Amino acid sequence: MKTPISYFVVLSAVLFAIGSVGVLVRKNALVIFMSVELQLNAVNLALVAFSRLHGNLNGQVLAFFSMVVAAAEVVVGLAIIVNVYRRMHTANVDDASLLRW
Amino acid sequence: MLRSVWLVPALPLAGAAINLFAGKRLGRWAGILASGLMVVAFALALGVLAYLLRLPGNERLVVRHLGDWISVGSFRVAADLRVDPLSVTMMLVVTGVGAVIHVYSIGYMDGDPRYGRFFSYMNLFCFFMLTLVLAQNFLLLYLGWEGVGLCSYLLIGFWFERPLAASAAKKAFVVTRIGDTFMLVGIALVFLRLGSLDFSAVLRPSIESVQPSGVFTVIALLLFAGAVGKSAQVPLHTWLPDAMEGPTPVSALIHAATMVTAGVYLVARTHVFFEISGVALTVVLVIGLVTAVYAATCALGQDDLKRVLAYSTISQLGYMFFALGLKAYAAALFLLVTHAFYKALLFLSAGSVMHGLGGETDLKRMGALRRAMPFTAAMFGVGALAIAGVPPLSGYFAKDQILEVANRSGYLIAWLVALAGAFLSALYISRLMFLAFFGQDRTERAAHESPPVMTVPLALLAVGAVFGGVLGLSVTSGRLQGFLAPVLGELTEGAGGLPTAVLSVISVLAALAGIAVGWLVYGSGKVDWVALRVRFAGVHEFLAHGWYVDDVYSTSLVAPGKAGAAFLASAVDQRVIDGCVNGVGQLFQWAASRGRRLQTGLVRNYGLAFLVGVVLIFVYVGVRLS
Repeated sequence: MKTPISYFVVLSAVLFAIGSVGVLVRKNALVIFMSVELQLNAVNLALVAFSRLHGNLNGQVLAFFSMVVAAAEVVVGLAIIVNVYRRMHTANVDDASLLRW
Repeated sequence: MLRSVWLVPALPLAGAAINLFAGKRLGRWAGILASGLMVVAFALALGVLAYLLRLPGNERLVVRHLGDWISVGSFRVAADLRVDPLSVTMMLVVTGVGAVIHVYSIGYMDGDPRYGRFFSYMNLFCFFMLTLVLAQNFLLLYLGWEGVGLCSYLLIGFWFERPLAASAAKKAFVVTRIGDTFMLVGIALVFLRLGSLDFSAVLRPSIESVQPSGVFTVIALLLFAGAVGKSAQVPLHTWLPDAMEGPTPVSALIHAATMVTAGVYLVARTHVFFEISGVALTVVLVIGLVTAVYAATCALGQDDLKRVLAYSTISQLGYMFFALGLKAYAAALFLLVTHAFYKALLFLSAGSVMHGLGGETDLKRMGALRRAMPFTAAMFGVGALAIAGVPPLSGYFAKDQILEVANRSGYLIAWLVALAGAFLSALYISRLMFLAFFGQDRTERAAHESPPVMTVPLALLAVGAVFGGVLGLSVTSGRLQGFLAPVLGELTEGAGGLPTAVLSVISVLAALAGIAVGWLVYGSGKVDWVALRVRFAGVHEFLAHGWYVDDVYSTSLVAPGKAGAAFLASAVDQRVIDGCVNGVGQLFQWAASRGRRLQTGLVRNYGLAFLVGVVLIFVYVGVRLS
C-alpha cells in the first residue's frame, strides 16, 4: 500500500519550519548550522517523495547533489566557526560583529 | 641658393637645441657656436639677397614650399617661406644685427651661471623672428609672432632671481598678449571673410571687391592692435621700459632692433588692407605720432641709462608707424633698418658702460666716462648723433625723409608735431650723452674699458650707423626704396609742400637745436641741472613716471582685476563651487548615515527578511495559480 504524498509533504514542511525557526531564533552558530541542515534535509525529503510520485529519477539525482553540496558547505562552515571560536572564544553569532557599523 | 633658404631659420633652431641640451658641457663654446651659426645664417641671407637681385624687379618673389603644416577639410595651411624684397630686408637685419649682438654677448655674459641657456634662448629668438618675417601665411607668421613673445619673456626674466626682472617679464608677456589676442581674431576674420590665410591669395589690391571696406577696416585695426602690443605703441607701451631688466644684449636685439619692429613689418606686409580701409591708415598715423612725441618727452625724465633708450625706442617706433600711416612704407622700413643699427649700437655701448661700472645704470652716478672708456664713449657718440639726425649719419636720412613725406602729405600739424619730436629726440639723447660721458665724475667705482669681443661689435654697428644712410639717400629713388618698391609700391609724390632742400635744413636745425639745448643744460656747466630738476620737481616726476600711465593702469585696470580675482577666489570658488562639491558629499554622507541603519549586520535579521520574502512570493504565485 502506498503512503499518500501528502504525508511526505507535510513532514517536509514541518521539518523545514523547525529548521527556519532554529536559524532565526538561536544564537549559537553550531545550532544554526544544524538547523540549516534540517532545512536541507526537509527539501531532500520532498525531492525524493515527488521523484517517487512521478516515477522519474530527477528528484533523487538532485537530492544527491544537494547532499554533496551540503557536505562541502559543512566543511567550510565548520572551519569558519572553529576559527571564529578560537579568536573570540565564543560561537555566538551576535558577537561576531566586526564589520557592523 | 633659394632651395637652402630654410637653413636661415633652421641654423639658429639647431643652435638653440644644442645649447639647451648641452650648453653646460660646452662651456665657453656655447656662445661661439651660437654666434657662428648666426654668422653663417647671415652669409646665407646675403646669398639669398644676391640671388634675388639677379632677378628682374617685378619677379622678385619666390615661395619655397617646405610641406603641409595643417590640412583639415578645406582649411589648409602650408609651411611656406616667402622670399621677397621685404622679407629679405628683415632677414638681413635679424641675422646681421643678431650675429653682431651674439658675438658681443660672448663677452657680456661671460661668467654667467646660465651662459649656455642664454645663447639657447637668443638663438631660439632668432629662429622665431626669421619664421615671422619669412612666413607666407598669417598662421606661420603668428607662430613666429608668439614665439618671439615667448623668447622675450624668457630673456627679460633671464635673471629671474631678481623680483623686478621676473615681474617685468610677466608684464611684458601679459601686455603684449592683449594685442596678440586682437591679432588672432583678426587672422580668424581674414580666413572667414577672405577665404585664405595665404599672403599671395589675400594681399593683392583686387581683394577689395571681395568684401565691403568696413570688413577691411576691422581686420586692419585688429592686426594693428597686435602690432601696437608688440611694438610698444600707446596705449600698450608700458611693458618696454620695464623690459630693460633683462640682460643688455637682449634689450639691443629684441627690444630695439628686431622683435619690436615686428609690428612695423606686419603693417607694411598687410598695407593692402590698411589702404583699402583708409580709416585704419589714419589710426596708424595718429597712434604713431602720439607715441613718437609722448615717448620722447618721457625719455627726458628718466634717470636710468637703459630706460632712456627704451623710451627712445618707443619714440622711434612711433615714427615708423607715423611713416606707415602716411603710406611711406619704404621710408618706415628705411628707418627700421637704420634704427636697428644705431639703437643696437646705443644699447651695446650702454651695456659696455654697465660692464665697466659693475652693472650701474643710474645716470646720476655716472659722468666723465669718456676718460675711462674713450672707445665706448666714441661709439655711443656715433649712435647719439645718428639718432639725433645729424647729417651725414644714417638717422638723418631716415628721419628727414619721414618729415619730408609728412610735410607733403597735407597734414601740416602732423609735420610740426613730428618736427617737435625730432627736436626732443636730439635733446634727450644729448642729455644722456652729456650726463654719462661728460661733466663731473660722479661714479662710485673706477670704470674700465670693455674687452675687444665687446668693442669690435660696437665698431661694426657704428659702421652701419654712419653709412647706413647710403641705402636710401632719397625718399623716392633710394636703393632700399627701389628694392622694396615691388612689394610696398612706389611713393606717390605729394603735391605742394616745401622744397626738399628747405625741409632738410629745417630738420637739421631741429636736431642741432636739440643738441644745443642739451649741451647748454647738461654739458656746459653753466646751468645747474640738479637745481633745475628740484625746482621743476613736479614736471620731472611726471615725465619720469611716463605721464603716470602705468599708475593709471594699476589703479584703473590692475587693481580692480586683482580685486575681482580675489572675489572670485574667495567668494565664488570657495563658497559656491567648493560649496556645491562639498554639499554633494555631505548629502550622501547624511543619507548614508540614515540608510545604513537598515543593515543591522545580524545574520538572523537577514534570514528573517529572506524567509518573509520567499513566503510572500509563494503566496503571490499560489494566488495567481489558483
